[in-house]
This record gives sequence, C-alpha cells and structure tokens, in this order.
Amino acid sequence: MFAYIIRRVLATIPVMAVVALFVFSLLYIAPGDPAAVIAGDQATPADVERIRQSLGLDRPFLVRFGEWVWNILNGDMGVSIFTNLPVTTMIKQRIEPTLSLMVLTLILAVSIAVPMGVIAAWKHGTWIDRCVMGFAVLGFSVPVFVVGYVLAYIFALELDWLPVQGYTAFKEGLFPWLENLVLPSIALGGVYIALIARITRATMLEVLQQDYIRTAKAKGVGQRSILFLHALKNAAVPIVTVIGIGMALLIGGAVVTESVFAIPGLGRLTVDAILRRDYPVIQGVVLLFSFVYVLVNLLIDLLYTLFDPRIRY
Amino acid sequence: MDRRTLIKAGAGLGLAGHFGLSAPAYSQGAAARTLKFVPQANLANFDPIWGTQYVVRNAAALVWDTLFGFDEHLVPKPQMAEGASVSADGLTWTIKLRPNLKFHDGSTVHAKDVAASLTRWSARDSMGQMIKAIQQELVAVDDLTVKWVLKKPYPKMLMALGKNSTPMAFIMPERIAKTDPFKQIEEYIGSGPMRFVKEEWVPGAKAVFAKFADYKPRSEPGSWLSGGKHIMVDRIEWIVMPDPATASAALQNGEVDWWENPITDLVPQLRRNRNVRVDIADPLGNIGTFRMNHLTTPFNSLKARQAVLAALSQEDYMRALVGDDNALWKPLPGFFTPGTPLYTEEGGDLLKGPRNMDLAKRLLAESGYAGTPVTCVVAQDQPITKAQGDVTADLLKRIGFNVDYVATDWGTTGQRRAMKNPVGQGGWSMFHSWHAGADCINPAVYIACRANGDAAWFGWPNIPSVETAVDEWFEAPNLDAEKAAIRRLNRAGMENVTYAPTGFFLQYQAWRANISGVVKGPLPFFWGVSKT
Repeated sequence: MFAYIIRRVLATIPVMAVVALFVFSLLYIAPGDPAAVIAGDQATPADVERIRQSLGLDRPFLVRFGEWVWNILNGDMGVSIFTNLPVTTMIKQRIEPTLSLMVLTLILAVSIAVPMGVIAAWKHGTWIDRCVMGFAVLGFSVPVFVVGYVLAYIFALELDWLPVQGYTAFKEGLFPWLENLVLPSIALGGVYIALIARITRATMLEVLQQDYIRTAKAKGVGQRSILFLHALKNAAVPIVTVIGIGMALLIGGAVVTESVFAIPGLGRLTVDAILRRDYPVIQGVVLLFSFVYVLVNLLIDLLYTLFDPRIRY
Repeated sequence: MDRRTLIKAGAGLGLAGHFGLSAPAYSQGAAARTLKFVPQANLANFDPIWGTQYVVRNAAALVWDTLFGFDEHLVPKPQMAEGASVSADGLTWTIKLRPNLKFHDGSTVHAKDVAASLTRWSARDSMGQMIKAIQQELVAVDDLTVKWVLKKPYPKMLMALGKNSTPMAFIMPERIAKTDPFKQIEEYIGSGPMRFVKEEWVPGAKAVFAKFADYKPRSEPGSWLSGGKHIMVDRIEWIVMPDPATASAALQNGEVDWWENPITDLVPQLRRNRNVRVDIADPLGNIGTFRMNHLTTPFNSLKARQAVLAALSQEDYMRALVGDDNALWKPLPGFFTPGTPLYTEEGGDLLKGPRNMDLAKRLLAESGYAGTPVTCVVAQDQPITKAQGDVTADLLKRIGFNVDYVATDWGTTGQRRAMKNPVGQGGWSMFHSWHAGADCINPAVYIACRANGDAAWFGWPNIPSVETAVDEWFEAPNLDAEKAAIRRLNRAGMENVTYAPTGFFLQYQAWRANISGVVKGPLPFFWGVSKT
C-alpha cells in the first residue's frame, strides 16, 4: 500500500510536467499582449514594445520556458506581471476562500445528495423518486450564476438574512465565515448534488437487486440497516469515484460562483489573470489546480480499499 | 440595527455562549468611519506612471499629490506648489513647494523629489514627452524650489502638471521616482491625503487606504483636484466586484457605500430603493469611437472613410450603449468634449441630419472598393466596445462592405491594433474604443485626435492640416486663438476622418443615502465625502 502511494505520488511528476508544458505553450501561442494592457489606451507602440522588453516577453519560447521550469523546481512560481507580487503570495491570499467554498460545498452536496439518491432508489417509481430526479434535472440544467442571483435576491435583498457578497476569514469566527459561504455553496452545490444523487440512485438500484440484499431481507434485517449498512457500502465505490471526478466541476464552478458572490478566491484570480494575460499567475494557478485534481483522485483510489476490501494495491 | 445584524448578534451570542465561537462585535462608529467603495475596475497594479489605466489613476490620486490640480473649471490651481513663475522669455519655469509637506514614511517633501518625479513622469506622458524634448535642465535649486529650463517656451506647462488625464504628474520620494519608468515601483509612498495599506491589498479583490494624519490640506475650498482635500473618514476600502448585479445588490443591501459606475440597465432598480442615490458620475462623460486603419484597404481611401461617416447614425450607437435614457447621450459632430471651452462642430456636417445611405454607397463605389474583407475587431468583454461593434457590423454590411467580424477580448484587441500588417496577415481594418471626456478637452491630452502618421494613435492617420492646427493651438496666446485653432483642427479631422466619433455619453454613479459630499467629476473625489 505504502509503495503504491509512493508510486502514485511519483507519477504525478510527469503529469505535472505535461500540464506545465501544455499550459505554457498554450499561453505562448494565444493572442493577447500584457504589455499592451499595461501601457493603456494612450500608449504609443514604442511604449508597448519597451514594456514588453522590460517584462522579458520578447525572449524566445525555450528560454522563457526553461527559466520558468527552473524557478518552479526551486519553489518560485514567479512574479505577477501586473501586481509585481510573487505568485505564491497571490495564491496564499486567495486559497482560503476557494478551499472554504469547495469544502463546504462538498460537505453540503454529499450530505444532501447521498441520502436523496438512497431514498430515491428505495422509493423507486414513486413520487419521491420522481421529485428527486426532477431536482437532479433542474440542478444540471440551471446555470450556477442564475441560482446565485435568485438566492441572493431572496435571502439577501428580500429577507435580509445573509450578505450578498464577500468573504470573511475563518479566524474571524465560525458564524461570519458561514454567513458568507452559505449562499455560494448552495449555488455551486446544485450541479454536484444532482450528479451525486443520480449516481447514488442508479448504483443503489443495482445493488438492491442483488441476492445478498434479498437474503438480508429474508433474514429480517431492518430496512435502514439494509440500505445504509449493506447496500450503500457496496454502492460506495462508484459514488466516491463520481465525487472525485466532480472536483473538476467544483473547480470550474468556483470561477463563476466567486464572481457572482464577489469572493476573493482562486477562481476570480484565474479569470482576472487570463483577461489581462498575466502569464505567471495563470501558469501558477493552473498548475496548482492540476496538482489538487491529481491528489484528489489519488485519495479517491485509496478510499476504494475502505469500501471494498477486495481491492488491493 | 438591521435584521441581519440582529440575527447575527443573536446567533453570535448563542454560539459564543454554547461553543465558545464568536462573531465580530458590532460597532456603528467604526462602520461610519470606513467608506466602502466599488471601483470601475480591478486595481491590478499601483504605479500611476507605469500603468496608465484610469482605475490606477483614481487610486493614486488618494495616495500621491500633484504640484498643480485641475479645478472644476479645468483650470490648474496650485496644490503641493505654493506657486509658479515663468521668465519673460518663457524659457524658465520656477516652482516653489509649500513647506513642511510630508511623505507617508515621515520624510519631508523636497524639491529633489519633485525633480525626480517629473523626470520619470515626462518619460511616459505625452505632454511630458513634449516638455522633455525641449528640456535644457530640470533641477532642484534648494529644498523647496524646482527650476525647469526649456529650449523653447511651453505655455501649457501648468496644464501638463495639473491635468487629470493619465499619467498624472504625481510626486514621489526621489528613491522611488528613480525607478525606470518602464518598470513598476515597489513602494507606494506618497504625500496625498490617504496612505496605501499594502498589507491588506488583495489585487483583484480589495485595496485599503488609511487617513494620513500628517496631511496638510490647503485652505481653499476643495474643487476636483485642487483646494483642501479634507478626508472625513478614517479608512476607505475599495471592493472589486466584477459582476454589476452583485454590486447593485450589495449597494442596496448596505454592504457597500458607493458604486462608481452602475450599468444603465440596473439604474431604474437602484432608483426605486429609497436608501440609494443615483446621479451622473462625470459631467465630462465619454466619447465613443471607432478607428479605421488609414494604412490598409479599404480605409486608406478617404472616400471609403467618408462613406462610413455619411451613413453612421450616432443615435443607433448611443441607444445601444445607454438604452432609452435620453439624458445620458447627445450627438457629437466633432472630436472635443461638449460643454468644454474648445468644443466645436466645425466641419462636422457629414455627421449631422438624416443619414444618407445613397451617398455612402456612392462614396464607397467611388473609393474603388472591390469587396476585400473589412476586419472589424470587437472586444466582447467590454460592454461599450461590444455594443458599438455590433452596430458597426450592421452599418458596414448595409453600406456594402464585406465584414469580417472578429469577436475577441480587450487584451487581444490591445495587441492586434498595434499591428500594421495588411488585413489577412494579422492586420485589422477597424477597432472600437472610447475616450473619457476629460481626456478630450484639448489636443495636448488627446492623443487620439492627432494625425501625425506613424507617431499617431492606432490607425495612424496622416493629415498635415490637423497637425498644423495642433501646433497653432500649442502656440496660441489666448483662448480665442486656441478656439480658432481647434475649429481648424476639427474641420480638418472631420473632412479627412481622423476617426469616427459615435457620440457623447454619460454614466451614472450611485451611493447610499447616508453618504454625503459626493461630487460629479472625471474621477471619484473622496475628499469631502462623509458617512453617517
């Protein structure tokens, strides 16, 4: 097991290398010029060129890529072209809101979606099942920003229960932290809940048809034990897999959610950096997201052994 | 106390009592001393010479001060300067500083700081570059006196030092001002009324300014960038909100106090809220534009450019920008800002009256246009350029142009418009933009109206009669002579179509009812603004 973990962690290195090359190349060939953005509307072409030179953007691709990789290997993600701040500082400033949003959404989504899926499978074909599936379709269909606006309108503007926007750090207290994150988490969690609920339902339906479930029923095991101890545990592997894959949904959704609720997180940092062509920031954030995604999937693989002892690494 | 605060207080008390968790104490006093402001854009950098975006200038005006500053009549008045004098031959300017002005690091402002700051500024600013070109020496004579010796007179000196167009001539400590003007400064130390709290800066999200205790406001009443800059709050927080709907909701909910530029669509909703006030932001407004490339076909032909102007309906553009609110726009058959001393409609006949599609088609035929694609570059991430671009594409098609509509973003537009290649090899035929009216009040600050070929703004118009009029304006001894020169400039620019003005439009600002002292101006002026 330990050797497996080491192998998998080592395997992230070539993955990250490919991601790094891909991101760097993509930005190199993409149109746009940070020097033109910096210089502003009144700048002359000569001003723009001089700024481009001062930023080192006129150097060949391989020189720039080599220097960037070398710096990354030395723990230096570079300095933002615009803010003149180290990329690591900017990521540190932004990581807590995004992490908070994603963790809360994950907790919210799993704690709502799994019971929903289980109940839908248990009450298969009834109005409860149809309601759950209806909600799942809605969750998939309605964009995050629409849900966000509706929630903000109802709970902030009309009822005045929660703030419209912003983020309060966890160190300021649990309540202020939660107050700012409830609406964004619900908005972001909609798609995620729909996805997990559907997979849970489908997997549970399959498991509930198995012989050992029939045997358990015949032995007089209670409905709750059948559902949550026997069936759900055996349905857990695909559910956990979907939760892992869905992290990409969360990362993508965070970009929109953070904009709608003005949360100063990594999603907004990414969008701002892309619009301005702040190459070091884009490269740093994308690399970080890729790393997190790879790690989450490793964690999911390891979780399999908890739910299915037959799986061995 | 509002409902949410009450709930928060209750919940906070409950949680604190049971679980040892706390909510921040509610303090009306602290809230009243902090002004929360939503700026027009993200403050992504903070060097007003290196980065010339308006948002940087607006923030910089809090932290750095200038020797002179425009008042509401666009007259430069002494600010850090006690006064200035010019020798009889017009070649030597002597500027005297007010004594005992302090920088935020506690050091005193000296003439050497001024000389270094003006040197850095003059490398980047268009007026500064003109002065630099005729500069003999710029020296600190003593601690409080700066002498600027020129090889030929420059009558617009005080305008250059006091103007509000970017980059403004901000004064920094010498050690900072010695930074290469094409590189960013790393310390944000000024002598303005507010200190920049760098530790709390989250670029793209929040910037914080704290009142500078040692700031000495002038005794005159505050008027735009001149007079006493009395700060009435302890702290100003800039909160960046990329989504206008969120900013609108936050303002209505009392989470922010002042929103610099609400979009027109949301203004009716804001007006319905009794706790929100809405008014025009900047009486000098904006001028919508699109620029045609004078170097490539088809717009290297005057007839093709005139064809576009003959059919162009400014009302169509303005409706696309501001909707049905007639108070927000007016036609602009000229290049200069309406309501300012040099405004003129001389030569703008082609833009007046009913639009003449037949004339446009005839002019296009006479231009010899053979159906080559017109690359119309439209930045989709800027509502103003997107709206204008859509109107232009339709207009060009109706005239008979073969339109290649390039939907892109502002970053790409910035790169592409600098390319002089032919269309089809990365070049372009036209792009859309807009200029702040404050930057279109005279040719010194208005690079877009110039027509000096390769040195001109993108599109590179080469119209000698425009440049002759510019020279005449610079040398004009009085306002009447200036007006006469500008009339000639406007006529020459209109007849040769330096660029196409799409109209003059205003924008709103909005603030909470408990905020007072908000004035209309080309940038948000925080002095005199208080909160109860």
